[in-house]
Amino acid sequence: MNRVSKRASAVIVLIAVLLGGLVFFLYEYATTADQWVVSAGSPHIYNSTNIGCGQILDRSGNMLLDLTQSRIYAQDQTVRKATLHWLGDRKGQISAPAVTHYAREMTGYDMINGLYSYGGMAGQAVLTLSSEIQKAALEALGDRKGTIGIYNYKTGEILCAVTAPTYDPDNVPDIEGDTTDRYEGIYLNRFTQSSYVPGSIFKVVSTAAALDCVDGITDMTFTCSGVYEYGTDKVTCEKVHGRQSLKMALANSCNCAYAQIVALIGKENMVKYVDQFQVTQPLSFDGITTAAGNYDVEQAAPVQLAWSGIGQHTDLVNPCRYMTFMGAIAGGGRAALPHLVAQVSAGEEITYTAGTTESGRIMSEEVAGTLKEYMRSNVQNVYGAGNFPGLTVCAKSGTSQLGGGQTSNAMFAGFVADEEYPLAFIVVVENGGYGSSTCVPVLSRILAVCKAEMDKT
Amino acid sequence: MEQLNQVLQWFAGAKDTYVNVYFGILRYMVPMLALVLLWRCIKPLLWFRREPEIWAWLYLNDGTKYAITHWESVIGRHKSSDVCIDFPTVSRNHAVLTRYDDGSWTIADANSKSGILVNGRQVSICALQADDVISVGGIEMTLMPITARQEQLMTQLRTKAGNGFDSVINLFLLTLLQCMFCLAFMMGGEFEHFPHILMGFGGITLCQWLLLIFYALIRRSSFELETVAFFLSTLGMTVIATVDPTETVKQLIAMGVGLLTFMLVGWSLRDLERAKKFRYIATAMGIGFLVITLLFGQEYHGAKNWLLIGGFTIQPSELSKLCFVFAGASTMERLMNKRNLILFIGYSVVICGFLALMNDFGTALIFFVAFLVIAYLRSGSVGTIALACTSLGFAGVIAIKIAPHALRRFSIWRHIWEDPYNLGFQQTRAIMCIASGGLFGLGAGRGKLKNVFAADSDLAFATLSEEWGLILGVMAVLCIVAIAIFAIRTAVMARSSFYIIGSCTAAAVLLTQTILNCLGTVDVLPLTGVTFPFLSNGGSSMICAWGLLAFIKAADTRQNASFAVRLLKRREEDADE
Repeated sequence: MNRVSKRASAVIVLIAVLLGGLVFFLYEYATTADQWVVSAGSPHIYNSTNIGCGQILDRSGNMLLDLTQSRIYAQDQTVRKATLHWLGDRKGQISAPAVTHYAREMTGYDMINGLYSYGGMAGQAVLTLSSEIQKAALEALGDRKGTIGIYNYKTGEILCAVTAPTYDPDNVPDIEGDTTDRYEGIYLNRFTQSSYVPGSIFKVVSTAAALDCVDGITDMTFTCSGVYEYGTDKVTCEKVHGRQSLKMALANSCNCAYAQIVALIGKENMVKYVDQFQVTQPLSFDGITTAAGNYDVEQAAPVQLAWSGIGQHTDLVNPCRYMTFMGAIAGGGRAALPHLVAQVSAGEEITYTAGTTESGRIMSEEVAGTLKEYMRSNVQNVYGAGNFPGLTVCAKSGTSQLGGGQTSNAMFAGFVADEEYPLAFIVVVENGGYGSSTCVPVLSRILAVCKAEMDKT
Repeated sequence: MEQLNQVLQWFAGAKDTYVNVYFGILRYMVPMLALVLLWRCIKPLLWFRREPEIWAWLYLNDGTKYAITHWESVIGRHKSSDVCIDFPTVSRNHAVLTRYDDGSWTIADANSKSGILVNGRQVSICALQADDVISVGGIEMTLMPITARQEQLMTQLRTKAGNGFDSVINLFLLTLLQCMFCLAFMMGGEFEHFPHILMGFGGITLCQWLLLIFYALIRRSSFELETVAFFLSTLGMTVIATVDPTETVKQLIAMGVGLLTFMLVGWSLRDLERAKKFRYIATAMGIGFLVITLLFGQEYHGAKNWLLIGGFTIQPSELSKLCFVFAGASTMERLMNKRNLILFIGYSVVICGFLALMNDFGTALIFFVAFLVIAYLRSGSVGTIALACTSLGFAGVIAIKIAPHALRRFSIWRHIWEDPYNLGFQQTRAIMCIASGGLFGLGAGRGKLKNVFAADSDLAFATLSEEWGLILGVMAVLCIVAIAIFAIRTAVMARSSFYIIGSCTAAAVLLTQTILNCLGTVDVLPLTGVTFPFLSNGGSSMICAWGLLAFIKAADTRQNASFAVRLLKRREEDADE
């Protein structure tokens, strides 16, 4: 009997396995539970790939998305359409990385209480967007595809970022069954996920480069005869601009002049300045990484180099990134980087507050100042300052040619130079034709709403 | 009347508020109350005094005397013998002294070299009368059994296993917990499920009090193990109430059948002679259950282990486990006989073959661990090699036959986050939900794991932790650990090796199930789809768990502790006083 009794202790091995395994798990829990909670597919937090808990408000406290029970979007149909790409849809076709990025802050997770909150009180994320401006922007865009972004280059808050085409999540159209191309790229957030041929708005980059590296550029003049030839190849303008200074060349958006200016800058310097201005680099904020741009002149012949400085050739820029570049000019060579999420709270507690992140200096204050003056002159002499009452708008338009018989994309980028309205913007209307004639009326409407919204506070 | 209406309306309007307040309080109350309850139950199980019983004295002719403290004692030269006589003519394991239920004694030869003599006559087994002279290897001795009066005194002097008052308090605490759970689920749940929830929790409450009253009637006072089991069943009911409230009654019925099984197994173990007879039946039934499953079973999720009878699905392999424990238990006298060991190995091989045909990896693993424990407890030096070989064969068959099916599960083990939407789905959801629940849980019905397959069985530990907190989940595991430690501690006092083997194997099976279930859910081990004893939704598993508990009760020889240990007849006690 004694020996059988003693052998009973063998069961201790199993107890040790159980307790050892349990302790191991508790260790894992203590060290990684906060990551588990917000891992992909976490039932309490996500609804497919998008956030599935809490409430998302705009900057004025209007409800954009309530996830406490089911997925309830804003009351206004246009606001629903204008904010869908930031909130995500019901099926997970459109991912909304920004709000999902703050899932942890929104849930108020802590190791002791998990996700418990008294009465299941929801977390809240306040976006920097204004539903009023979003609505105005989408209405101004109408049926056209494209994107509009406006942000405060001093604080970094994105006030407006719409993308079209979009749809009403409460009344989903038959996207799969549609045979026209009106829903083309509908799940894409064009503001962050697309890159466009910039066209003449890229001349701002060339101008900045020339101002910085070509001695005496402001005193030089360039002659436009409508065509600038490179053997059989050529750079053309739509009309003969004659003799012009750099400032006039920018205002006239004279291709022939820019062909000469880019030649003065040289290939190496072009590459250097594009890199320094960061216009082709992806931008990361709030869990979003924007699409990269493109500037590749390594194999470029002189004519191709000329086109690259005019924003054609193989050039591509992301709207959000280019808007930030505009902000940097407005800010005298540096700007706040954009962000979308202003504040996150869990229950009563504020768990995240956006700070202002500054970009480094990308150009000298002097160059930025000259550019500002030139771009202001564009508005005064070409686009019409009267389109933007009460605002000192500085801008450059672009008409980017796409080839293949497509109508050009209309582009418009710039900023408001007023202290009270530190806004940088970009407008892209796909196949919109001429940049200024298409975009100026659109922007004119939206900036008026922006001004009104900012005057409120 | 109008006022009453107003009050009622106010109450309905304020529902959210009082539900939230109640949930807010409950999340701290439940673990606290559970902690107090378990401390009160587990402390006596872990720290009771282990006093040997003395059943007889063995007098040697040189004047030394040995206390015989078990019903089965080995006499031999080996150091670990119960009566160690270090003399060259005595074999290492010479003879076995056995006491029977009626107080009679026998001595049996354990294949010794020189044999045994009783009153000068060579015997292999012999019933002993008073003053019989036994000669073991030339050393003469006489056995003096204790008198009835001494036995009665010994019984009375033994430490009491708790008192009835403590049991009543414990059960009140448990009832309070059950009321709190029940109320919480009724507040947070659908109106149509009220009857299910009431019946589920109320049924457990009723069962536990009935059992306590029954114990009081038969003068048994130790109710700790049962309280722990009822506690786990209550936790299981919370899991079912959140995952599928319509299943509560089914689980309750299973618990009722489980209690009957508990009684039946306990009753059969009370009398060692009866137990030995039951052992044959159980051995046959163990095979029978598996054969029936193979012939008429349904295949679910790759394993053929379900039987559909009149709307109920049962898993006969669970009951087979219980039979296997019976078949493995053995008295000392038989342990000394190699033939019995070989028979048991043969039996295990047959069981192993059937399990291989059924393709049920989890069950096979439990049987394997049970086999190892039984083998270790039974084998002396002789059988070890044979046993090792068999275990190797056992493992080999499992590996070859079941591997392809199980391999998929193994491939995802410790890699669940690489495939969270497919192979790692259950485990990642379980772990995320445990983390979401924190230490105190989210509250009744507020979990989300319930939408995942097997949330109330394979993932029961996670569902419990999500809604009631990791603390309660850990407590559930510690309950099983406490039961196992108790089984180990009672081994010293058990009267027969039959009980030691039975209770240790039962403890091992409970532990293995908990290991596979709990650690499988949280990806410390591969997920094998085994139930958590008492906690998981599953009738057969519930019945098996209660049956196993009876084995552990049978080894508990504290005074008036266990219904599975016979008391002195009241008449005998009265006559002596």
